[in-house]
Amino acid sequence: MSDVVVEVTGLKKAFGSLEVLKGIDMSVNRGDVVCIIGPSGSGKSTLLRCVNLLEEPTGGKIVVHGVELTDPDVDIDRARTKIGMVFQSFNLFSHLNVLANLTVAQRKVLKRSEQEAQEVALRNLERVGLADKVNAMPNQLSGGQQQRVAIARALSMDPDVMLFDEPTSALDPELVGDVLGVMRQLADEGMTMLVVTHEMQFAREVADRVLFMDGGYVIEEGPAEQVIGAPQHERTQSFLARVLDPTHQGPSGA
Amino acid sequence: MALSKRQRAQAIRTGQYALLVVVVAALALTADWEQVRKAFFNTEIAGAMFPNVITVALKNTIIYTALGFAFGLALGLVLALMRLSSVAPYRWIAMVYIEVFRGVPALLVFIAIYYGVPIAFQLQFDPLSTVMLALGSVGAAYMAETIRAGIQAVPKGQIEAARSLGMSSARATITIVIPQAFRIILPPLTNELILLTKDSSLIYILGLFREQYELTKFGRETLSRSPSLTPILIAGLCYLIITLPLGHLSRYLEKRTGGKKVSTPESTGLGVSA
Repeated sequence: MSDVVVEVTGLKKAFGSLEVLKGIDMSVNRGDVVCIIGPSGSGKSTLLRCVNLLEEPTGGKIVVHGVELTDPDVDIDRARTKIGMVFQSFNLFSHLNVLANLTVAQRKVLKRSEQEAQEVALRNLERVGLADKVNAMPNQLSGGQQQRVAIARALSMDPDVMLFDEPTSALDPELVGDVLGVMRQLADEGMTMLVVTHEMQFAREVADRVLFMDGGYVIEEGPAEQVIGAPQHERTQSFLARVLDPTHQGPSGA
Repeated sequence: MALSKRQRAQAIRTGQYALLVVVVAALALTADWEQVRKAFFNTEIAGAMFPNVITVALKNTIIYTALGFAFGLALGLVLALMRLSSVAPYRWIAMVYIEVFRGVPALLVFIAIYYGVPIAFQLQFDPLSTVMLALGSVGAAYMAETIRAGIQAVPKGQIEAARSLGMSSARATITIVIPQAFRIILPPLTNELILLTKDSSLIYILGLFREQYELTKFGRETLSRSPSLTPILIAGLCYLIITLPLGHLSRYLEKRTGGKKVSTPESTGLGVSA
């Protein structure tokens, strides 16, 4: 049994004539946390969305947990149950309460019994510290709480890997910490995670490896300390300089 | 002498009230109210219409409308899904249906169904089924467009979340999209129920028996036997018994979903980035 959970080879994605991913090779090992950083428009979200086929790649190969997603005959619904996804905009089902948000896919997709689904849901709500919000409606929750519910919803499917697409970008600054705390705890528990983020501090402290993307390519990759602490590539350096110290930009920045 | 902005606004408002008073006074003075009272407010004829106007006509109007609405809603949902289908012929068929049934007077559709269906399929429906088919097939065309708009108004992120949890496209549509779409379109659907209530007056064309009369037919029938327009007034009031509460409900729902819309961007995170 391989220790590689996600393997991407030669991945290309174009929207019409706009080529967003120009040949990506990357992999995520079991239990690893891999953070993808890079300027907006660099293709990092598209890469993440290709890993569960929310975007259809135009070329290359994606294998998750031994299943080739790019095979036209793949049972994508089945494969997706093993790939948890957390969105920037939370996307809680707005007509369902918190408990139903966590149980609906367990019941309809995994065919779990109502009782089992509720047990799993409550366990995961406790993991994200929101067991008391079981009966709340999504619009009664703060953004941070919604995102933690969304994480618990993804966890309730018992995924092999969790994908996070800028999970804190839509949050008010004071709510970011709660969500990052939950993600840090997941990482400590050994969850395999692929995270697109702008939180450099989080990437530096939690990630086993960091990928820097720009212009549809992976420019630099390695341990967090190296990519964020001592970047080798000039483009990584200038990106980090802009992100970490936005007020001290040189005149060439714009 | 120049008026200040405030004085001018006041003068315009006074002018508007004055116009209202003049028009109302003119109508009140020129109409022959004694004749109107005689024509419309014959208490004897009005009294004779009870209780049948309620127990037969109003009841039938409600039954016909409810049946037509139920069938129309079901067919409308199917048409809306066809309109959004990835199979092109489904889209075309739904589009042609909607355009034809919206573009042709309901009366002609009723006649076509009443005479056409038995000829085409050698089927003889009972009157109630014919009414349901006639009202429903017209209502469906309007409701299909409303439902389609509702489905398209459900944020794309909801579908992505459902798919990312392993739901098939059909499963996501049934479990996530349609329930949310119906919440969005509840106010316009209520309005369509009001329109359908009034359209039910056209089914006199289907040649019903006395005990099957709905309000308009009942009113006209009474009219033909009495030297007074009172039956029309009574029938009209009975329609209002149905449509006024529905109109109220529609506005209430609109306010409620309107209030919800404010929180929707927040709950999808879009409000934060704005």
